[in-house]
Parts: sequence; structure tokens; C-alpha cells
Amino acid sequence: MAIVTQSSKLGNVLWPTLAWVVALIFFFPIFWLVFTSFKTDADAVKPEFLFFFTPTLENYTNMTENYDYWRFAINSVITSTFATLFALAVGVPAAYAMAFDPSRRTKDILMWMLSTKMLPAAAVLYPMTFLTKNFLGIFDTHFLIILVLCLINLPIVIWMLFTYFKEIPKEIIEAGKMDGVSLWGEIKDILIPLAWGGIVSTALLTFIFCWNEAYWTVRLTTIDAATLSKLIEGNRAPEGLFFGRLAAVSTAAIAPIIILGWFCQKQLVQGLTFGAVK
Amino acid sequence: MSNRTLPRLLQAPAILLLLIWMLVPLSMTLYFSFIRYVLNSTIRPEWMTPALSNWRGLGNYKYVLEAKDFWFAIQNSVFIVSSILILTVVLGLGIAVLINRSFPGRGIVRVLLISPFFVMPAVNAVLWINMILDPVLGLNGLAVAGINEIVDGLRDFPVLGGFFSMWPEFEPISFRATQTSSYAVIMMVTWQWTPFAVLIFMTSLQSEDESQKEAATLDGASPWSKFINLTVPHLARPIAIVVMIQSIFHLSLYAEIEIVSRGNGNKNLPYLIGEFTSNNIGAASATGIFAVILANIIAIFLLRIVGKSLMD
Repeated sequence: MAIVTQSSKLGNVLWPTLAWVVALIFFFPIFWLVFTSFKTDADAVKPEFLFFFTPTLENYTNMTENYDYWRFAINSVITSTFATLFALAVGVPAAYAMAFDPSRRTKDILMWMLSTKMLPAAAVLYPMTFLTKNFLGIFDTHFLIILVLCLINLPIVIWMLFTYFKEIPKEIIEAGKMDGVSLWGEIKDILIPLAWGGIVSTALLTFIFCWNEAYWTVRLTTIDAATLSKLIEGNRAPEGLFFGRLAAVSTAAIAPIIILGWFCQKQLVQGLTFGAVK
Repeated sequence: MSNRTLPRLLQAPAILLLLIWMLVPLSMTLYFSFIRYVLNSTIRPEWMTPALSNWRGLGNYKYVLEAKDFWFAIQNSVFIVSSILILTVVLGLGIAVLINRSFPGRGIVRVLLISPFFVMPAVNAVLWINMILDPVLGLNGLAVAGINEIVDGLRDFPVLGGFFSMWPEFEPISFRATQTSSYAVIMMVTWQWTPFAVLIFMTSLQSEDESQKEAATLDGASPWSKFINLTVPHLARPIAIVVMIQSIFHLSLYAEIEIVSRGNGNKNLPYLIGEFTSNNIGAASATGIFAVILANIIAIFLLRIVGKSLMD
């Protein structure tokens, strides 16, 4: 969109430059985090080493010793991966039925599913703690975190899959039915290959949401199933003594997800706005 | 097997799971909100277990409505959420228009801009409050110290020195303090969510009807009037969606508030619920019900917009 007329030479230099400046400002905090992670804890708080210092990898090599990083990271990987897979396993059949066999109530069901996503988590904090601790005995287990992450993302998963599946011509699925293909065959051999791109982006986005979740993963765990969110929150105020190592562990916690995020910007819009912005 | 049985069976697991997830904890909250339920009650030990005999009616609601913290939390939530909304929408619009053109390195600019959105909330808060906003060791403190040093140096100059010696020593703002901790939260969340607004506005700008704008150009419309009369109405729906989705997310901010000041001077409803939960479950549940009502009011409007675009 041209705010300036096309003949304006000045505008052709000015606006892109401004765009670059804005982008660099927005990226700066992340850059600063990564930059700080290469300073020793002592250097990180000395003004004279603000920009020029001897880079070191010790914060990364000591990450296990300082924070037991890998334990939390593995928990994050396990819970996010399985939550994503379960959400897909439940979501694909549901979205398939809604997209190719809609009933009068399909729209209401979809809307209702979304509305569960909008319930404030804090409102059920005590019942969840009570149920899982005293009643079911699954507090601080991988199983619980996987279940919760799966449930809070299920509406988005079904919603996204539904919009992808709707793009597939009904006739293709119908043709499969005529040929007497079983339901499982229909899903496995026709639907999944055709909607593969959509399913993969749904999975990536769900994984990102699971990884970054910071309410239930913190409140429903103590040690065994604690994820990276819990690790970082537990080290919230190091009073400047450990900026270097804290920056390193934070970088390690966000790097995989930022890189993953770059690959699914487009799907992000659809996933977060429930298809309402195209 | 009838025609409708199979689709129903396929949807059943999803619907059942979500139904249990929604109904069971929420009805417990509803129940607890009507009874006296206090975890450490030495005087009335019978209140320590949930029972119908501890019925309190609307007493917990009354108690919560009369609590100073509750109104502070509501006020503070509204302040935080509306500040973030205004900032993200204005910045988001500006940036989306700015990068909605082709220029060298546009792809990289997009990648840099979107990145903050993927930072996990806990890292976002830890990074901002320590490495950027800390009044002594963060960039905030270092920058203010740097300015003071420059001013100090200028004081020795003839003539001009007289002017600069009237300047006070600058004090860096501490963002962990009672009055300022909400600003820190607003800053970090705005940083994280502006990319979201940019992304949505940009998606929507790309579907704008270009021929309409060309016609307006031929009629001699100024760029500004084209923006106000064509682009802004086109963006009305995305703006509404950005506002509502963010409201729902930011009403339940937690990690940032916890990390910045542990709620000191900066509570919202989820934080208040968390505090009540350590002892007074009745009050926590009543507060929870208020939070649900508040979220529902926004959700109804959001769902209406989403519903309209669902079936086309």
C-alpha cells in the first residue's frame, strides 16, 4: 500500500528504512538476551563490558549443573509432543465428521468448543488442584500435563482442521465411499494425504502453544513433570548475580520455538483468529 | 447403522472430553462459591472440608465484593488490558501499513517482527524485568547512569556549565515498585502482542480491494483520505477480533504479574484468585465465577463475529 505517491523518491527510502528500524527495535530484546548469554555472570553486569567482551560458552556448558536444564527441557518435549499427538488423534476424526457430514448442530458444536477455550483458567484452579491431588492422585505427572495441554488446545486443533478439511472437495471423499473403502482407509489413504499440509501446520502451532503454556504447567507441577516455563519462573529474580547463565537458559528455552514459529506465521493467523481473518 | 451414527461416534470423544473438562471443575467452583471453605481454620475446623452443611449462600460473593483487593484487581485489570489494547492496535496498524509494500529485505523484517510473539511468557518477563528494566543492572539503569555522567561532564564547561549544573541527577525508575509494576507488565505484553496485531492486519490488508483504491487515486483522493475511508473500514473486523482475542488472553495474565512483582501493587483477578486459594477457597471460587462472567461477556461478542464467518 502506498501512502506516499509513487513518484516520491524520498518515500522510497524513508519508509523501508523506518520499517527496518522498527523491526530491529522489536527484535532487540531477543538479541540482547542471546548476546548476554555469551557473557560471564560477572561481565554481564559491568557497564564497561556492555558491548565489548570476551564471549564464552560456559553458561551453556554449565546449564545442566546450574539449572538441571535438560530435565525440564525433556519434560517440555514429552508433554508438548504427546499433547499435540493426542489432540490430533481426537481432533482429526471429529473435524472429519464435521466437515464432510455436517448436521444442523455442527456450527453450534464448533462455537461451543471455542467457548470452552475462553474460560479463565484461574476460575478452576482450586478444583483442578483438589481433583488431581486428593482425588485422582495424578498431580505433577506427565499424564496430567499432557491431558491438560491436549484439552486446552483441542478447540483450536478441531477448528483449524475443520477449516482445512472444508477446502477438500466432498466428491473425493464420496468417491471413496462408493468404492467401498472403509472409514479407517478413507481417513488414512484419502483425507490425511490430501490435508497433510494443514495437519502439519496445526501440529506445529499446537506444539508451540503447549511449549509456551505458563499457567497449568506451573500450577499443576512441583518437580517430576515441571516444564521449562516452571524452571524460568522459579528463577525470576536473580538480583543481577546470574544474568549470564539466566540468559543462556532462557535462550535455550525459546530458541527452538522461535525457529519453529518462523515456519508457521501464516497458520498462526488462522489458528488464533479461528479462521475469521483471511 | 444409520446415516448419522458414524459422524456422531467420530465426534463423541472430542465432545465428551471437552464437556468433562468444562463442566466438572466449573461446577465444583460454583459449589465452593456457595459454602464456607477455609483451608486453615483453627477456630471452625468443620470449615476445612467442603460440605453442604457449611452453606453460606451469597455470603462469599458479598465478602468478595466488599474486599478492597477485588475492586483494585478489577480496576487494575481494566487498566492493563485497555493500555495493551490501545498500544498494540495503534502500533500494529502503523507497522502493518509500513511493511505492506515491497522493499529490500522485507522477508527478514517480517521474521524479526514476528519473533517476540513466540517467546514464552516466563522468559519474556524475566528478560524485561531483569536485563532491560532493572534500575541498577539492567539497560534502564545503565542508560540513566550514562546520561548522568554526560550531564556531569558538561557541568565543567564555561557558560553552558551553569545551565547544566541546574539539572538534577536522574533517578532510574524501578519497575518492581508498587506504582510502576503494572507499567512493566504493559510494556512486555505490548512487545509480545504487537506482532500478533501486525500479522493479522497484514493478512487483512493483502485482501484489500486494490481496484477501489486505484479508482480513488484517479478521483484525486489523498493518501490519508484513502487510508481513513477505505483501509480503516476494511480493517474494522480484524481490529474487533484483535481487541477481543487479546482481551480474553490478557484478562488471565499471570506469569508476567508473578515474575515482575509477585502481585505487589499489581493484581488482577487470576492473581487474586491465586492468593485466595492459599486459604479461603470460598472467596477464591466466588472471584472465579466473577472472572468467568467477565470473560463470557467478551466471548459472546467474539463468537458472534467468528460465527458469521464460519460457514462461508
